[in-house]
Amino acid sequence: MATVKNYGDPQLEEKLKDQYFYNSDANPNFTKEVEKIGDTLAHMCFQCGTCTGSCPSAPRSSYRIRRFMRRAVMGLEMEALTDPDLWLCTTCYSCTDRCPRDLAPTDVIMAMRNLAFKLDIVPKNFLKTVQMIYTSGHGVPNNDANRAARTKLGLTADPPTTHMYPEFIEGIQKIMHHYDLKENADRILSEEGQ
Amino acid sequence: MAENMHTYAFFLGCIAPNRYPGCEASAIATSRKVGIELVPLKGGSCCPAPGAFGSIDLNVWYAMAARNVVLAEEMKTDIALICNGCYKSIYEVNKKLKENDELRDGVNEVLAEIDMEFKGSIDVWHLAELYYDPKICGVKKIADSVTRPLTGTKVAVHYGCHLMKPKKERHFGETDNPMWIEELVAALGAEPVQYRNKMQCCGAGGGVRGYDIVHSLDITNEKMINLQEVGADALTEVCPFCQLQYDRGQVEIKDKFGIDYGLPVLHFNEMLGLAQGMSPDELALDLHAVSCEPFLEKIL
Ligand code: SF4
Ligand code: SF4
Repeated sequence: MATVKNYGDPQLEEKLKDQYFYNSDANPNFTKEVEKIGDTLAHMCFQCGTCTGSCPSAPRSSYRIRRFMRRAVMGLEMEALTDPDLWLCTTCYSCTDRCPRDLAPTDVIMAMRNLAFKLDIVPKNFLKTVQMIYTSGHGVPNNDANRAARTKLGLTADPPTTHMYPEFIEGIQKIMHHYDLKENADRILSEEGQ
Repeated sequence: MAENMHTYAFFLGCIAPNRYPGCEASAIATSRKVGIELVPLKGGSCCPAPGAFGSIDLNVWYAMAARNVVLAEEMKTDIALICNGCYKSIYEVNKKLKENDELRDGVNEVLAEIDMEFKGSIDVWHLAELYYDPKICGVKKIADSVTRPLTGTKVAVHYGCHLMKPKKERHFGETDNPMWIEELVAALGAEPVQYRNKMQCCGAGGGVRGYDIVHSLDITNEKMINLQEVGADALTEVCPFCQLQYDRGQVEIKDKFGIDYGLPVLHFNEMLGLAQGMSPDELALDLHAVSCEPFLEKIL
């Protein structure tokens, strides 16, 4: 396989040189990291746009999954990670099921979100879910009205999850501490005055 | 009937037990009538939410989902669950850890801190696929269990995303226009109706509901327009999070966009419960934000 593409004509090469894509913001490692975390060969994207055409978020916002694919390929790290549209993917996987190059654009987005979080770029609601699960084991915990309804149905007032067996919560907290997840969530929220 | 019961550890997740307990109660009651026994999975937690946790740190998502799987491994029982979000976390992490040694070793390092180990000894199923699977239950057995057919009703199906997609990580085949849940709906005596863009997302996933509620509801609203177009009497789904998005979402749509659809939304387990003769009270249908009355009037 050829490692360097050229026309074998030094004069032509010289003429074409300044037409190669060059961007001082590009970080080639970004492409590699995205491909590793997302487990998909993003650089194979040929920009057909099938992904954007499948995307429920595209018609109602400026979010374009194809643009994020391009950013992945070009190594446009900060342009991708600081774009608020990054968080408009519903992870519906329609693009992934239809991509003619068999890529997983959804997992490219997930990888970019993971990388954004490492730079403290993350919407509040994600962090609040983290705090909720840390405390109760549940992202959506039980409440009194629901306890009453459960009892009427003949179910236990609290479900047989961490709610009924809180001794299991410690294990969950240890997992989260292992990755400093709770610490980071608390820190980012308090820096934002929450 | 007890002779040939298939037993599963029932992974509950969050929204079914804590917002729509009728989904949980009907899963237990309806499955028992078709030879499936759901036993509690003690100490289960949030799956954890694939959108929220996966977006922040996939490694935490793997480890926390694996903890839930190990609880069932210790019971030597496969998992059954009733939520597409849970399916994404529990099914997919179980599969990935079985196939990828490096990933499994990493997760087991963390699990060792809490005296657990992922062995890869069980499988994970959505109750709906067990209902459809003739080796476990099958459409005929579902039809035979019906005592109050939902005759004269038009029911649309929302498949949701994470049960069948991405198709190469699943075993359901094509995701353009599946019909297997419609077959189950027809077994209840209802008429399944098709509508535009059936496979489109409900709009809730990926943390979008919490991040930008108007954007999220606008996706739901598009689905509602398409559902209204075909005159569905009810929408059924197999995911309590989709249910929440359609049910409470209709109230939010009315509030924010001024459109009132009033379309009853019922989990397939709840539909099956009704068809097997359970009363609305036994399903806690009064907890639904959109009244189920118009649908109930047609069948009771
Ligand atoms: S569908 Fe696939 S190949 Fe086409 S633009 Fe999107 S990611 Fe690239
Ligand atoms: S997974 Fe995300 S990017 Fe892909 S179609 Fe769905 S919302 Fe759009």
